[in-house]
Amino acid sequence: MNTQQIVVDRTEAGVSVVVVHGEHDVYTAPSLREQLTALVEDGSPVVVDLTPATFIDSSILGVLLGGLRRAREHESGFALVIGDASEPTVRRIFEVTGLFPVFPVFPSREEAERVALANGSE
Amino acid sequence: MIYAPSDLWLRVPARPENVAVVRQALTGICEALAAEAKVVADVKLAVTEACTNVVVHAYGEDAKAPSIEVEAHPGVDGLSVVVRDHGRGILPRAESKGLGLGLPLIAALTRNVEIRRASEELGGTEVVMAFALDETAIEWNEGGG
Repeated sequence: MNTQQIVVDRTEAGVSVVVVHGEHDVYTAPSLREQLTALVEDGSPVVVDLTPATFIDSSILGVLLGGLRRAREHESGFALVIGDASEPTVRRIFEVTGLFPVFPVFPSREEAERVALANGSE
Repeated sequence: MIYAPSDLWLRVPARPENVAVVRQALTGICEALAAEAKVVADVKLAVTEACTNVVVHAYGEDAKAPSIEVEAHPGVDGLSVVVRDHGRGILPRAESKGLGLGLPLIAALTRNVEIRRASEELGGTEVVMAFALDETAIEWNEGGG
């Protein structure tokens, strides 16, 4: 498997789940931005699952913030998954930047999907 | 006995795909120095942010052979890492893209950071970052968000 893979799943309920594998930085940020933008503008609730990610930097945080903002503009759901099995390094950048409270973050994909489907209003 | 690796000197083209190359090199140095896993993680993030600043901000579109220079100097009490460019510098600009989180992140993750002109002759900027090997500059929250 490509160590920087981004996989998009669509649930039966219509939520797009973007699964981020491996290390991501300024090199892969444009690809993630493009995918999130397309999904949000398509009107789909979006969940970004960072559980299989092993490294993200501020470029990726910027893309996630952009996705959240765009989803709010479209009144569409947007949520992140950072599970118990997530790399502590992924959690770390949210903590150091103080951005954890900004995102709807859930430990499981099921919870994130449920909230994204309900327009992320929880 | 822990083998102390030689100082590292690396120059790569200032392109997005090469930030990971620098990150892997620094990870290798840290692991050879038996640095704490959390320290390694913070070094990776700080160095990534410094290199990203070079790639995104340091050079104009007409720059010839834009590069990132990286030095790592292991010492008795820690690791010093220098990320250098020979462009127009990485100081924040009004028209800057991005979140502007790079330099604040670097400042938070390092024991000490100095940002200075790289060379009177060639211009550019260097970011000199100091890390302890046995503890991170700010505590990790084990409980998560």
